[in-house]
Formats: sequence, C-alpha cells, structure tokens
Amino acid sequence: MIILLQSDPASTMKHKKQGRPGELSASAAVSAAEAFIVHSICAVGLAVSFWVAHSLHSITLISHPFQTLFFIWVVECPVVILLYSRYRQNRYECSYLRAVGRGLLGLLAGALVNAFGAIALGAPVGVKYLSSTVNWSMMMSLFVVVPAASVFGSSWTDWQRLFALTKPVGTVEYMICLPAHGALIGSWFGAWPMPLDWERPWQLDHGLGFGISEPSAC
Amino acid sequence: MCHRSVKAAPLPCLHLPSPDSPIRSLAFKSSWPDAAPSKSAVGGGGGVLSALDRSASVSPSSVRAQLLWRQFPIFPFPTTPLAGHLKVKDQEPRKPVFELLLKQESLKNKMGVGRWEWWGNKWVYWLIMGFHLLAILFFTKGFLLTRTELPYFSHCSDVSQSPCLHSSSDDSNANLNQSNSNPPQCWTKPAVGRLVIIVLDALRFDFVAPSTFFQGDVNMLESKPWMDKLQVLQQLASQNPSSARIFKAIADPPTTSLQRLKGLTTGGLPTFVDVGNSFGAPAIIEDNLLHQFVQNGKRVVMMGDDTWMQLFPHHFERSYPFPSFNVKDLHTVDNGCVDHLIPSLYQEDWDILIAHFLGVKLVDVLKSESEPSGLHENTLLLVMGDHGQTINGDHGGGGPEEVETSIFSMSFKQPLPSIPSQSGASSFELDSDKKNLHISSIHQLDFAATISALLGIPFPFGSIGHVNLELYALGAGARSFKGYIEKCENQSKLDEWMLDYANVLCINSWQVKRYIDVYSASSVIGFSHEDLLHIADLYAQAMEKWVSHTKNFFIYKNESCDTVLPALERQIDAYSNFLASVAELARSKWTEFNLKLMAIGFGIMLLSICIHILAITKWQYVRAASSQIVLFVSSMYLSFAVVVEEGKVASFLLATSGVVKLRDSIKKQKKMVLEVIVFLLVIIICRLAIEVGLSKQTPDFEVSNIYPSWMLRIACGLPVLSFATEIVPMISLMLLAVLLYKAISSIYSEGLWKYVTVASILSYMLIAVHWASESNILSLGSVLEDIGRNSIPQMIYAVGFAQLLLLMFYPHLNKEKSFDGKKSLVDKTVAMLSAWSSTIIILLGKQGPLVSVAAIIGGYCIMRLGNIKNKDNNEGIGSLMIDPLTVAQWSMLAVCLFFCTGHWCAFDGLRYGAAFIGFDEFVLVRQAILLTIDTFGLSLILPVFGLPFLVACQGSICRTEKRKHALFTRLSLVYLLYGLIVATTVTATMVCVAIHRRHLMVWGLFAPKFVFDVAGLVLTDFLICLASLYYFSTPHNAEADL
Repeated sequence: MIILLQSDPASTMKHKKQGRPGELSASAAVSAAEAFIVHSICAVGLAVSFWVAHSLHSITLISHPFQTLFFIWVVECPVVILLYSRYRQNRYECSYLRAVGRGLLGLLAGALVNAFGAIALGAPVGVKYLSSTVNWSMMMSLFVVVPAASVFGSSWTDWQRLFALTKPVGTVEYMICLPAHGALIGSWFGAWPMPLDWERPWQLDHGLGFGISEPSAC
Repeated sequence: MCHRSVKAAPLPCLHLPSPDSPIRSLAFKSSWPDAAPSKSAVGGGGGVLSALDRSASVSPSSVRAQLLWRQFPIFPFPTTPLAGHLKVKDQEPRKPVFELLLKQESLKNKMGVGRWEWWGNKWVYWLIMGFHLLAILFFTKGFLLTRTELPYFSHCSDVSQSPCLHSSSDDSNANLNQSNSNPPQCWTKPAVGRLVIIVLDALRFDFVAPSTFFQGDVNMLESKPWMDKLQVLQQLASQNPSSARIFKAIADPPTTSLQRLKGLTTGGLPTFVDVGNSFGAPAIIEDNLLHQFVQNGKRVVMMGDDTWMQLFPHHFERSYPFPSFNVKDLHTVDNGCVDHLIPSLYQEDWDILIAHFLGVKLVDVLKSESEPSGLHENTLLLVMGDHGQTINGDHGGGGPEEVETSIFSMSFKQPLPSIPSQSGASSFELDSDKKNLHISSIHQLDFAATISALLGIPFPFGSIGHVNLELYALGAGARSFKGYIEKCENQSKLDEWMLDYANVLCINSWQVKRYIDVYSASSVIGFSHEDLLHIADLYAQAMEKWVSHTKNFFIYKNESCDTVLPALERQIDAYSNFLASVAELARSKWTEFNLKLMAIGFGIMLLSICIHILAITKWQYVRAASSQIVLFVSSMYLSFAVVVEEGKVASFLLATSGVVKLRDSIKKQKKMVLEVIVFLLVIIICRLAIEVGLSKQTPDFEVSNIYPSWMLRIACGLPVLSFATEIVPMISLMLLAVLLYKAISSIYSEGLWKYVTVASILSYMLIAVHWASESNILSLGSVLEDIGRNSIPQMIYAVGFAQLLLLMFYPHLNKEKSFDGKKSLVDKTVAMLSAWSSTIIILLGKQGPLVSVAAIIGGYCIMRLGNIKNKDNNEGIGSLMIDPLTVAQWSMLAVCLFFCTGHWCAFDGLRYGAAFIGFDEFVLVRQAILLTIDTFGLSLILPVFGLPFLVACQGSICRTEKRKHALFTRLSLVYLLYGLIVATTVTATMVCVAIHRRHLMVWGLFAPKFVFDVAGLVLTDFLICLASLYYFSTPHNAEADL
C-alpha cells in the first residue's frame, strides 16, 4: 500500500518534468500536485471505509470479506467517480454529469468483466459465493474500469492504448493506468498463494486474496 | 560447446548430388577418429569440420556430417549413454549406427536434405527418454522403499523344524509330564492368558515419563506444560517396579497411525509400496498378531479408532469402531470408548481387548475404575502410543519427537524377584518422590514378537522383531519353571528364567532367519548378497553354540551349575547380536531413504533438462529467455505443496495465459477476441469439472459447500435431467463425428487417412449403440444387449488397434506420391487422433465425448491464439519460431483434462471400472493397458499426437522451398518444448518429494503424485518418440519442395 501510494505520485512527477508533449488538447492539464491530491483523497476514502468497517461494525476483510468489500466500494464509488469525472476528455462536448453517468455505467460493465475474469481464474461459483464475487468485482471495477470510463467514455483507441499497449500519455492517463494495473497485478498475486497450505486466514477468503492488493490501487 | 561454433547455415538451400559418392563413406570412416585430436586444438565441432574440409572439400558427406554435428551436440561427449556404444576405442563400433543411417537413406534411394535432420531429432528424443528412464530408476530406487508382502503364515507345527526346544516336544519328552493336562501348546509356553492393549494416539514419550527424566537433556531445560500429567502411570511404575514398568518405545518411520498399527501387528517395517497390497483396501494380508490370535482361539474385542477395522475387517469378535479422521473434539470418541471399555473389562468373553483412544485423559478414569479390583491375575495390561508427535501435533516423519512414544506395561501376577535388565539400554531415574523409576527402551518392531511369545502363539511370519528381555520378563513373571534344572537346587529362579528366555530367543532367531530366507528367495528386490552372508554367518555361530552347549542344559542337565549362567548369557548375546543385525539391515532397506541414489537420479534429470534446452536453443536463440520464464512458471506451481489443488492451479495459470492472450489480441485491433472468450469459457467449464472431481476425492465435503442442496435435489428428481444425462453424451458424440467428417471431407484428405477416419466415425456409432443399450432409452432386444455389452467395446478396441497398426506401417509399405507437407501433416494428425479417440471415449464413459469436445474447442483456441504473435513477423527466420507460451498452454490444458476426467493423483483416483469395459475377467496386462489408456488418454496421448496442429496452423505463409524444412523444424521444436515442460514439472515434483520425504502426508499425497508424474513422463517420452517416428517418416517428399 505504502509503496504504491508513494510510487504513483513519483511517477507522475517524473512525467511532469518531461513536459507533456502528447497531451490531448481538449483534456484538462493536471499538475503533479493535483494528481497527488486526487490519489490522496482516494486513499483517505479507502482508509475511511476501512475505519468505518472496523470500528463501527467491527468487521475486517478476513472475518467478513464481502461486507467489508461492500463498505469499500460504496464509500469509494462517489469519491472516484466524482474526482475522475473532472478530468474527462473533450470537456466541451461532454458535460460533468455525463461523465459521471459514464462512470456509473462503467462500474456495472466493468463489474461484469471482472466477475468473468475472477471466475475464469478460479473464484468459486455458487449462490453462497455470489455476494462475495459481486462485491469484489464492483470494487475491482471501481479501481480499474471506472476512472477510464469517466475520462475516456467509449473511445476504443484510448482504452486500447492504456490497457493493451500500456502506453499512457500525460498525467491523467498515468493516473488511470498505474492504479488499474496495480490493482490487477496485485489481485493476481493475491490469488497466487491460496492453494498453498500455509493455513493462514487471509488465504481463505474465498479465492481472492485481493485484501493486500487493493489498497495499492488507489 | 561444439555446436555453437557451427554457424546456423540455411539448410534448405543445400542441393546434394548422388548419394553413392565413394568419398562419403570414406569421410565418415576416416574423419571421425580425427575428431579427438583436432577437437583439442580447435575445440568441439569446429575441429571436426575443419578435418572434414581437409579430407573432402565440399562433398555432400561433409555437409551431411556437418548437419549431423549440428544435430548431435551430444555425440562428442563420451559420457552419455547413447554415445556409450559409439565411443569405444577403435572406429569399428561407430560404424553400425552410421551404416544404418546410410542404409536407411539409400533404401529410400532418394535423399531429402532434411533427412539427417529428422533422424537427428529422433535420436534426441530417444536419448532424452533414456536419460529420463535412468534418472527415474535411480530416484525411485532411493525414494520408493518397497517390500514384498509374503502370503505365508506361521503355524504351531512349524516350530518342530527348528533346533530349539519347544513346548510340544517338551510334552513328548518323558521326563516332562507336568504339562500333559494343559491345552495343546505352541511355540512358547503361554505366560499370560489375557491381554489388555490400550493404544493412545500420538502419545509422546514425555507425556508418560516423569519430567525428572529429562533433566540432563539440553533441549528440555524448561518443563513443558504437558509433563507429569499422567501421574498414575508413574506412581504405579515406581511403587512396584517389578510388576509395572515404563518403556520408551521407539517407532520406525513412517509414523502414521495406519503404518504403525501395521508395523506393530506384523512385527515388520511397513513401507510405502508393500507389493501385494491391494490398492485402496488397506486390509493387512500379511501374517499378523491379530491373525494369530484368531487362529489360536483367542477372542478379540476392539473399540475406538476405526483404522483397526480397515486393517482387520474380519478378526474381531466384537468391535465398537469410531471414525478417527472426522474428529472435531477430543472427547466424543473417548467417551464412547470408556462407555464400552469399563463394562467389557469385567466380562469374561474376551482374551484380547484392544482400545484405541485419541485423548489421554481417560487413562485416569481407567485406572481408578479397574486397577484395584478388576483384572485377572493372568492379565497383562499395556498402555502404549502408536507414535509420538511434534509440538504442532504433526507426525509421520522420523524426527525424535515423532518417533519416541512409550509403552507402560503392568502385570498382575507374582513378579520375578528381580527383573533382569538389559545392559546399556536402561537408565535409572529419581522420581519426584525420591523413588527409583526404571525406564528402558524398546523398539516397536519387537512388540509383535514379544506379545506372541508371552501369549504362546506363533510369531507372525514376517516379524523381524526381537523378544524384548524386560517386557517378556514382566509378562512372564514368576512362571513355574520346575523340571528344567532340577539338579541345581541352589539355582535361583532367575537362572531358570534365563534358560527359558534363551529358548525363546532361539525360536525367535530361527523364525527371523526363516523369514529372511524366504523373503530373499521370493522377492525380486531382496537383500544384497553380502548382507545375507553376514547374517547367515551370525546365525550359524549362534545356532552352533546352541546345539553344542546350551541345549544340553535342558536335556542332560548334567552341567555344573556354575557354568550355566555365563554360558546362557553368551548364548543370549549371540542371538541378540544376530537379531540386531537383521533389524539393522531391514531398517536400512525399508525405512531409510537412499539420499545418494536420489541425488544421482536428480542430477541425471537435471542433465537431461540441460540437453533438452541445448537442443532447443539450437533453433531458438532468441526465445530461449521467454521459454525459460514459461518453464519457471509451470514448474513453480508444482514445487509448492499444491499437490491436492494441482488441477485448480493449472486452470488458474491457463486462465492467466488466456488473459495475457486477450491483451495481445486487443493490441492487434480486436483480432480473435472471440476465441479468447471462448477459451476462457472452456477453462471455466474445465475448472467446474475439476472441482466436481475433487469433491469425489473428499466425499461429503465440497459438493455440499459449492452447490446448495436444492440444486442437487432437483437434479436427482427431474426425469428430464436424467434423460438429459443420457442424451447429452450422445449428442456430443455425434458432434464429434460430424467434426471428423468435416475434417476429412472439407480439406485435402485422401487415401488411407480418410479411410482410417471413416472407421473411427463408425466406431463412434458403435459407442452410441453401446451406451443406448446400457441405458434403457432404446429398448433394444435382449439378445443385442447381451452381445453388445462386451462385444461392442471389444470391437472398438480391435478397430482402434487395427487403425493404429495401419497408420504406423502403411507409410513404410506403400510409397505414396508425395504431397504438400503441411496438408499431409494435418491429415496424419487427424487420422491418428481419430484412431485413438474411439478407444479413449469408450473407456472414459459418458463424460468422454463432453470432455473431448471441450478439449477440441480449447485446443482449437490455443492453436488460433498461437498465431497472434506470428502474424507480424512471419518473414524469414521468424517463421521458425514457436511461441513457448502456446506449447505451455497446450500442456496445461492437458493437465486440466486429466483432472476434468475425474482422475487425481492417487491410487484410488484410478478409474478401475474403465479397465473392465468389454471384459469380465481380469488379465493383468490387458487390464493395465486399458487402465493406462483411460488414465492418460486424454491428458497425454491425444495432446502429444495433436501437437502438429500447433505447427500446421502456423506455417501457412512460408515460402515454398522453405516450407517443408521450416514445418518440420518447428514440429520437432514443439515436441522438444513439450517434453521439456513435462520434464521440468517432474523435476519439480522430485524436489518437492525429496523435501517432503518426512512429511506427514508423504505416503498419502506426495508419493502417489510422484508415481503418477513419473509414469506420465515416461509415457510422454515414449509417445513423443512414437510421434516422431510417425510424423517425421514421411518418405521422400522433401524433393517436392526442392
């Protein structure tokens, strides 16, 4: 968590120094400080949700995985969507509200994709695990898909550049790209030790050891 | 390395003149011996080439030799086994191989450029297979300890063959008539009539021994919380040391309950592979204590752990088993036991009472209940552990904590005035009450022999134990010895007792010797000759002493009394010496891993992998790095302890690779996104099937977790569903047939291949008829059913076999007109797969066609996705490349299929039912072949023979003159890569098994996993060799491309 929190602003800073030659004209110019603030707000939101879950409802990710996940994504959802909608592309053609709507749509669509991926990668299928899977994929979608959806909408080339080619241009795209990849790779590694017989409780939360990785996302 | 010094020349442009040039053979004969000196000068193959260049400037032979050198980087090294018959001092032995190659070539009478290359590839496969076999042989010999179970049993009458005195001969002896009234006796005089054995699971030695015992021990400086809790036993042992005693019992690994109980009752050293053991049912078929109890009319009552019921299903008069594995608390089983135990103790209807408890607490209960009033004078009480445990409660390994347990024994009869103590093995300790507490050690191995001696029953045939002096003394107690030595009135009872003990040891030694003799005569892997000689020598010495001296004490009784005791002690020493060396030998043979052999095997395995990688990097310098990454990933998941979850891990990795492919495909402008999604769907289905399969492995655990009960209820209730389960396999079978039909009708199929494929379509029809007649969908005539049940499967096997034979030998018989390499390759592959498929499907049963369809879809997706990368760099050398990821996906899919079809890596994971489809009676070889095809059919045979698809699909854009060469180079590369992946996973398993060799589950999980992997590796190697013979042997069609 700490590493990625530190690394995100650092990389944006680096990019900042190089100037921003490729930045699209219509998108908002973002300074490194602003990016840092955005990420900090996200992190604060995450911390708040953990705190609420832990102190008010006394649940943790290990004891009550899906309730905690629910808290996380419900708290983070407005934060992320509202924040990232500010950096929408083509801001003259696309209103703020429309970007928010795109973000909400992206949340649902991304949740579907993430759930599919999770099941393909081994999340158990069944009514009993449905709520866990749904909550998890909502949260993953929030970190992976929603920022991009708010900013780019349905522009396929941007999505392709960001997620397939991993060639972000400009601060905003770094702001989207790094947390998304962090979340994906982190959750993959979170799932990795599950079959090992270390008998640690955090291995057991139904196939997705995302608990460690998620904070890094923001 | 030599092959590196040779530049990678573009092979296909070599146009060679007539093969009969005289220089060629000369070049081979003369230049090879030159290789050695010139190698030292220039280094490796370069020297040979320069020598060749000197002798014949640009002759075809030199070019061919050059090719050969490129193919055989291994040949110059004299250490490899294949080179073994090439490396002898003169060049004569080398000739045959090359002569053979040349003959082969001239037999075709046309030569393709690739000729040498294909031969070279094949040799590489055979070579690697040889290496693997060697490695496995060594490793297995070190790791899988095997022992043959002998089907012989000891009988009372056997003892007359021994030179010892035995009670029956005593009876016939005129001057001993006191025992005439007794019931007929057996090997020894019974000392106790009733026996109470209380087994406490995982009873550590320090549970029982007083804490003062450990004061000198560095590791035990602070007292552990569990110490001194069993005060009752300690008090009993210290109050009357001559009738109650605590022993430190030393178990032999593996310290698992089942193995230990087996060891305790047979007096042997059970190993992982007790040959003759019926897999699945662990019932002991060797001679054992329980068998002898029953044979000799003892009534046995058992309560507690149900492992006993598995081991001895028919031996108990009464039994109260409780499940031992599904234990949630510490007291349920034990309370149940106590409820049965206490009343039973007072009943008279048993001779042997065995109670196996999981907790320790009840000993107190037991004591307070029974000790003062209850037990007979003629009873021996034993409280013992089957093994120890570590601090964490694990056991199974050979660590001191796991091995050390204890036996407390107590007899209720008049004790010997002073119990003789073994020299050295005992130690006196101060109890907390300042009393002497005597603790000595005993091996669990000796348990069966000692108990048999005490009860007067024959020793179990396979027992190699040694009647323990102190335990025997305790039980035997003050037996009446009158009659033996009457002359020596001043002789103490002790001496009489020693005489008796010597006789028991005599019988004991004779029995052990008999077992060793029979074992080494009947077992394939017996003891080494020197060891046997040594043992025989010791035995002969002891027996000679017995016959010449000691026996006289019994018979003539005219020795002077002073000489008796020292002579007896020497006699006992001699026997003990013999028995100890037998036990030591047996231990080294049956319980100790031979680490040296394991290391050798592992080293050879690594060497073979190096050869593999060298052979691959000859073609693929660039991608070597990425292939290593793939190998790393694929091997990593096995080196962890994920044996149980292997199927899930494989599907996880497969899905990950699918996601990576998805990313690639999005990179390439949405090409083949559909394939990726279908691929992921197939993986999901596979994974669900794997989970269902795993749930079979652990019954009533997973199914109820994953699938709520209402789903199952509906599934059971609806007739539609049961109908669907009948009809869906048929439909998918038809789908397969249609696919095959399309394959042969749409593309370039011709000749034999077509007919073979048509034959398998017919086989599919037969399978459908077979299943229909089995289920009652179609009410066929009863006549047809009777015929169909066995004859249809047999017909299918026969058709499949005929197809295979035809495919293997047809190319050699009939020189077909050459045609396009790629198309013929596809044809051959389809034909081969279809020939296997019918047999595999009928063996797999109704899941067969479903899984096959899934496999075909998955394979098709992998094949298509493999093209993503190659589309952009399809020019020049790029077309030679094979993406290792694709091959890795292929092999992971194969692993998934193994688990999908309801197998898992354990012997109860074999589907024995499959072996009896089409046959009713059991013939070992036939059924073993069927079982192998069932187990590895979909996960090894089809994937290996299907690999050419990966190649055939990719090479479509090659230029014509290069096509053939490129195609076959890539094919051989694919096979090398596939073999490498399998070999790497097996190596990982070896590491895993070697690390976990003292793990609790080593015999339950790791060893079966190892056996399966090794069998899979050998089969893969063999199949790859076969495939290389089959696919690469396309005769003389290379010139079509030239």
